[in-house]
Amino acid sequence: MSIATQYLDVHQRMRDQGVIFSFVGYVSEGILFSLGEALKQKMRLEETDANVTKRVFSIFVEQVQNIIRYSAERLHAESGTPTEMSSGLITVGRDATHFFVVCGNIVGRAEGEDLRGRLDELARMDPDTIKTYYREKLREPPEEGSRGASIGLIEIARRSTRPIEFGLTELDADRAFFCLKAYI
Amino acid sequence: MDRLQLPQTERSPLVDFDFDRQRLRLEGESYPEDAAAFFGPLIAALDRYLERLRAEPPAAPLILDLRLAYFNSSSAKAFMNIFQRLEAAARDGVEVQVNWHYQTDDETMMEFGEDFREDFQAARFELCVFD
Repeated sequence: MSIATQYLDVHQRMRDQGVIFSFVGYVSEGILFSLGEALKQKMRLEETDANVTKRVFSIFVEQVQNIIRYSAERLHAESGTPTEMSSGLITVGRDATHFFVVCGNIVGRAEGEDLRGRLDELARMDPDTIKTYYREKLREPPEEGSRGASIGLIEIARRSTRPIEFGLTELDADRAFFCLKAYI
Repeated sequence: MDRLQLPQTERSPLVDFDFDRQRLRLEGESYPEDAAAFFGPLIAALDRYLERLRAEPPAAPLILDLRLAYFNSSSAKAFMNIFQRLEAAARDGVEVQVNWHYQTDDETMMEFGEDFREDFQAARFELCVFD
């Protein structure tokens, strides 16, 4: 298979799934910003409803910040400012009826289980309960050891117009791959 | 107290805390790289300021104007922090008014405004629509 056929195949498969863009590798806050700008621009050019654009952008930001903060694969600067790069997967696309934002990253198995527990809880809630839960969490002091993920996850569930989908798959004794898909 | 001003950036709001005139303003988008680093100093300054107002409540109200187009969940947490402090000061006798400006048709900002409004009793919280 030639290199062009090989990558055309990748390209074609993504397009068939309605992918607007997909990023795999180390993400930083700078990459979040640039991808976010491209996303907003694309949606503006297509004259997407402003409220839909905001929902997509909002979910995108929370998803990517979750990767940056919680991916188990990360690089730290040796010294100086706490520049972080964390490895993960970000895909934004559109199917026949909805936009979708998917994020995936490697997590420690224990953290992954904890995350799944929180998401199971969220998935059982109706929109009004999610809203009330969000308000409660907003008033609470930050959780021990957390850097704000739970409120970010609630924000994702709240902005999603269909129930969120998520999963965890074991990689080895210590690690698992986690992914979360939200629809707008 | 010295006026605290920060220009608006692509990821952080304009900040104009004109303490002597009792007018505080936040405007723009808010999803800073490090929300704690951005909002920490603002909240610390606000604490010092409210301490002074409690000691000597001014005749005119303290007014906070927020005109935000988008903010992330870490920023929402910081806003809640600011609101809790203002509400506490209002309970101690400082007259406080918060104006939440949002654009017509902006469902998200309207909903956030309605949500935040429920946390105020002693302080006034107004929803202000603009075109």
